[in-house]
Amino acid sequence: MILIIGGAYEGKTGYAAKILGISESEIINGSICDFCEVYSAKAVNNFHMLIKRLTEINEKDAVEFVADICGKNPNIVIISDEIGCGIIPLDKNERRWREETGRACCKAAELSEAVVRINCGISSVIKGELP
Amino acid sequence: MVILVTGGSKSGKSKIAEELLSGIGRKIYLATMEPFGEEAKSAISRHRKLREGKGFETIERSRDIRGSDIPNGTEGILVECLSTLCANEIFSSNEKASVEKIVSCIKLLKEKTKRLVIVTSSVDRDGIEYTAEVENYIRVLCEVNSRVAELSDVVIEAVCGIPVMLKGAVL
Repeated sequence: MILIIGGAYEGKTGYAAKILGISESEIINGSICDFCEVYSAKAVNNFHMLIKRLTEINEKDAVEFVADICGKNPNIVIISDEIGCGIIPLDKNERRWREETGRACCKAAELSEAVVRINCGISSVIKGELP
Repeated sequence: MVILVTGGSKSGKSKIAEELLSGIGRKIYLATMEPFGEEAKSAISRHRKLREGKGFETIERSRDIRGSDIPNGTEGILVECLSTLCANEIFSSNEKASVEKIVSCIKLLKEKTKRLVIVTSSVDRDGIEYTAEVENYIRVLCEVNSRVAELSDVVIEAVCGIPVMLKGAVL
């Protein structure tokens, strides 16, 4: 598993397509995909939005979900926006989303062989090595 | 040695900070969060669990941390965290005084221990325009963060639980 994180619009999806040697259209979109699609996809972007939808349906813990993904699809590339660097939201659901995304990304980082952070379009490998 | 650990919400800051004090003799956990409301209470209890068995003595002080009674022979202090301390200080005085007060308190704590680890938060990167009051808070915290980073030997950013070195190195 590889985790790619960074702010919005930093070129994370393009970077993932490049390292995987696939087209961006093969990367599923966490904002709209079915939850079960992540168990077989090569890569998923907008992972923070997938976690948002997960917290809305309230069925599964985000950290457990990440562990499941890694168990069933150990070669997936997960792409997520970093959303925690702001003021604690007033809205309870927004707060919960932010917390769950933070925890899910910590878990994904722990389980990933490599973690890449993209800032100003520049990638830094902050854990492990890319295959 | 002073080490500042920053990062976003739930980025693994506390865990990294606590590990920086593992293997150190007598150590103090200086907690600044006031237990107002259910979520604060649950955050406090989550952090307590995380610290369990790691040998910290807890001192709770929501502001004016210079007054904290640090026992003689303390080898490590963990301050958690500047973002709540800032909010508490601003609430009880004003912005300019708060920055100077927090920085001077940190300098005093530095003299009382071998290793001072300070946790703060990055709160200035969501592009949202807040009310004047909240914007003031962000400005004060950012100024405190910069000033404390300047006097720190090491600055670490927690990213998804991974320590990314921004300044210096931990020996």
